[in-house]
Amino acid sequence: MYQAEGLTKVFPGEIRAVDGLDLKIGAGERVAFIGPSGAGKTTLFRLLNCTLKPTAGRLWVGGREVAHLHGAALRAARRRIGTIYQQHNLVPRLPVIHNVLAGRLGTWSTTRALLSLARPVEVEEAHRALQQVGIPEKLYARTDELSGGQQQRVAIARALLQDPDIILADEPVSSVDPTLAAGIVHLLTDISRATGKTLVVNLHSVDLALATFPRIIGLRDGRVLFDLAPAAVRDETLAALYRGAPATGPAEGALDAPLDPATSCRPLPRV
Amino acid sequence: MPPLTRPPVAVPFPGSRPSRFARVFALLFGLTAAASWWAARVDLPTLFSREAFRNALVFVADGFPPALSPTFLFFLIRPALETVQISLLGTAVALVIGFPLGILATASLAHAGPLHELDLSGRPVRRLLRFMPYGLSRALLSLFRSVPELVWALVFVRATGLGPFPGVLAIGVAYGGILGKVYSEIFEAVDPRPLEALQATGASRWGVFWYGMVPQAFPHLVSYTLYRWECAIRASAILGFVGAGGIGQQIEISMRMFNFGEVVTLIGLLVLMVAGTDALSLRLRRRVL
Repeated sequence: MYQAEGLTKVFPGEIRAVDGLDLKIGAGERVAFIGPSGAGKTTLFRLLNCTLKPTAGRLWVGGREVAHLHGAALRAARRRIGTIYQQHNLVPRLPVIHNVLAGRLGTWSTTRALLSLARPVEVEEAHRALQQVGIPEKLYARTDELSGGQQQRVAIARALLQDPDIILADEPVSSVDPTLAAGIVHLLTDISRATGKTLVVNLHSVDLALATFPRIIGLRDGRVLFDLAPAAVRDETLAALYRGAPATGPAEGALDAPLDPATSCRPLPRV
Repeated sequence: MPPLTRPPVAVPFPGSRPSRFARVFALLFGLTAAASWWAARVDLPTLFSREAFRNALVFVADGFPPALSPTFLFFLIRPALETVQISLLGTAVALVIGFPLGILATASLAHAGPLHELDLSGRPVRRLLRFMPYGLSRALLSLFRSVPELVWALVFVRATGLGPFPGVLAIGVAYGGILGKVYSEIFEAVDPRPLEALQATGASRWGVFWYGMVPQAFPHLVSYTLYRWECAIRASAILGFVGAGGIGQQIEISMRMFNFGEVVTLIGLLVLMVAGTDALSLRLRRRVL
């Protein structure tokens, strides 16, 4: 599904967020990225979902090189990739239903999109998606009145409605409690297993990643540090990944030999 | 524990020193203000002199007692209504001109920023095609608002004759230019992250606009448009001076006949009307926020 060769993204100020990354992800694979804050995970995801233009290197999605995608072809490629953002990135003033239905914007005409703002269409589907994430009663609530965890679930419902071939989830459980986090990650993996969708996630919770995903990629300083099956990930591997990371991050949880699920799922500080 | 390797990639800590741009700008601003003080012949001693005070007082005192005869007050109903009509219709015309032009003049929607980073990379012709309507609408908006509404009114009075209609057109065009510019600035100031997320679903630019930009910008759009309506009431009074109807025309007539009592009544009426729109728009604003 994905292939990257020497993929690099440099932001103004010589910040090398992603630095010569090589990667191959097959269709239907379930992959978890782990790594300290600032490792370039979010930037990598913005490259993978065809938002950012790589500074150097090449990236293919579904066999097509991203740099050559423009206009309608680019939109079609984006439609097949569903992204769940860390900061939810919902439209705060819209009712939940429109944020969920926004997942359909790639397939709707502008007229249909506008009409739906006046009188929502495909309400059944939106309701079902919210049911899957456990907040069906919030269908008509205003999105900014929801808690952080509920908003995160709205973002997941939007991705469900989009029905993409690839689901990219950037910290999909950063603002929900550990039990719910496991539930949501399992929901995503179940969907991937049942429908053959490729699932790529960033997870702060190392133990959740190890327990749920057959492939773990450690990212540090914009490079792949390791690419292993969970059984092959040792404490030393994790120690090297999180070495020198700020103490407030997940690093200490990763360094403590027996991982405690209650502490390794800490919410991220709000930016 | 081995020593720290490279720190995690992060934006460098911002310095507390103002940027060179800020310092140069502050210097230029200070110099310009000083030069303007001199060029505009600001003369505070004269302003605060006893003589100036007396002259101003005499001018104002001429207006008292204000004209409050029932016939005059009754006669005022029509021009007052006319002023409200001019301002309302003028603002409506301004909205029709300003909203579409404002959309075109929004850089983040047309060609700049992360929404276009991948789409327009390596396609200079496409970028130029996107830039043209943007540049054109900005130029048009700039023309509309840099010509004062009074001049627009003179033009339209010539074209369509005396009466409220040229006033409506003058306010519509001049305020259309202002609304369009402010709308585009409001659109650019919305949080870009939800826009990026919408685009990532494969949404078109229209989809991103209606689902991401408009809902975020809505309260500001309403608030500013209502404020402009309030301004339009005041402006329509001025436009009356050049024959565009409403209260302004009455002020001009009364002034020409040195009937300052009537002028004070008319200005009082204008104050009441502006206060009225203010109260009304406050209620509307509360509802949309």
